[in-house]
Amino acid sequence: MNQVTCSSCSRGVSSGEAYELNAKTYCGPCVTAAAQQAKDAGQPVSVTRYVDKSICARCSTYIGEGGGIAVGTARVCAPCSQLIQDWPYPQWLKLSLGALLLLLVFGLYHGRGYFQAGKQLYRGEQLVETGQYQKALPYLKDVITIAPNSDKAALLTAKAGLLSGDVQAASLALEGHNKGYFEHTDKPEFQEVNRLWKGANTAFEKLEKASKLEEHDGNEVEAARLVHEAAAAYPQLPHMDIVLDQYDGGVAFAQKDYDKFLALSEKGWKSWPASGTAAMFSSALACKYAVTGEPSFRQQSEDMLAKAKEMAAGNKETLANLAEFEERNRYRLETRQIISKSAYDQKFRGAKSAAK
Amino acid sequence: MFFIPGQVIALLTFPGVIVHESAHLFFCKLFKLKVFNVCFFRFGNPAGFVIHEQSENFTAQFFVSMGPFVINTLLCVVFCTAAFLPVWELNVNDPLAYFFYWLGLSIGMHSFPSTTDLSHLWKAAPALAKKGNVLAILSLPLSGVLVVLNYGRVVWADLGYGIAVGVLGPIAIFRAFARF
Repeated sequence: MNQVTCSSCSRGVSSGEAYELNAKTYCGPCVTAAAQQAKDAGQPVSVTRYVDKSICARCSTYIGEGGGIAVGTARVCAPCSQLIQDWPYPQWLKLSLGALLLLLVFGLYHGRGYFQAGKQLYRGEQLVETGQYQKALPYLKDVITIAPNSDKAALLTAKAGLLSGDVQAASLALEGHNKGYFEHTDKPEFQEVNRLWKGANTAFEKLEKASKLEEHDGNEVEAARLVHEAAAAYPQLPHMDIVLDQYDGGVAFAQKDYDKFLALSEKGWKSWPASGTAAMFSSALACKYAVTGEPSFRQQSEDMLAKAKEMAAGNKETLANLAEFEERNRYRLETRQIISKSAYDQKFRGAKSAAK
Repeated sequence: MFFIPGQVIALLTFPGVIVHESAHLFFCKLFKLKVFNVCFFRFGNPAGFVIHEQSENFTAQFFVSMGPFVINTLLCVVFCTAAFLPVWELNVNDPLAYFFYWLGLSIGMHSFPSTTDLSHLWKAAPALAKKGNVLAILSLPLSGVLVVLNYGRVVWADLGYGIAVGVLGPIAIFRAFARF
């Protein structure tokens, strides 16, 4: 390293430890005093490190006074000049970038199934957010086949299933997620599904109880109350309105309010034409015939029963039930006496079972 | 809040440092600025640097300073998007996805320009902003926010930014695509 002379104390100092102030060279101890003097004299104070122009400012190679290439206030050697003009990207950087891009392409190809699932998941989520639960289910069911442990997919599927009345879809989604285990049970999404799920289970328990109560005469009011409670707990259950009408119809029959029984059974038949609703309508028409003697009711009752049998064609169990009902209905039409099934069984069949 | 030495963080997220300095170098070369020294990664403070000449051209200053912010942010979104679904939404244990997420977050964490870079912009921008220079107008609030975020590194603002970009970016992309 070159020696330079301090312009203040004339002492020789290494160029690396020298400073410049207003075009003069100073050693470390003198530059502070010189800066203060310049300041007091109102001169500009800009202390910079002394740049030895005889060596390359970058690699310290000797280039001689005035040699090399000027870069600002410094001078550099020719190779360094070339380097700083166009600094190359290192080979390892280029190779790493290439490898990373290849890996990214592979990753995107490898993850194409995830992208498809993700698209389905967001589509399903958007449909759920807009209340289109039935429409959302196919999208969400696709997602849980790829990612059964996804909290979001399982909860959205369960929500869509429960709110569209597809309890089986909800059950499959929840059971398929870590065997029903969810880690973040404090999340509102989980809480919402949990509330719906409990509501559905409560409804099914009440419906089962109602169904058992209905097997015996005199329980119609209690059974109907349970069905109303079930409907309140899980209003999304499909055909709940028809089930309610059937149980309310049972209450009307028990209370001998045949006009109401007829109205409810007709409503049920119109909203869901099936062998069961046709048979109930036929029963109500037979009751009306029994109390009024109006032949058109009898004719309609027979027509509805024929329709019920027609609709049950091929279903052995339903046909057997209809055959049993036909016998009792015939008795009602022939005698114009209205008795319950258990009373009929006791009177004519000596049945131990009072099952309807 | 817990303290982890900067060098350890830099080591754990070294791809971000390399990308940040590469972006600096890229924009220096793009604007033909002289580069005196480059360090892509080292165990020290700073973990990487690019020493270049100061340009009188504000556009060059803007891109050299903000370039790494833009490039790191974009790459963070790209890599996190590639990994977002299996990691966050689908709960699939895919090592490649986790690797991409680490890469994305590492890159995102090193998006912020240095305070030195920002101070150059901050000094030059007001005069040019008065003349209607769009980049200068843009750089004023941006520099302000980034200076604050830079100081916020002590409370993990850089990690917070990486996570925000690496989560919100992919969500926005996938939600937009799901509509088609």
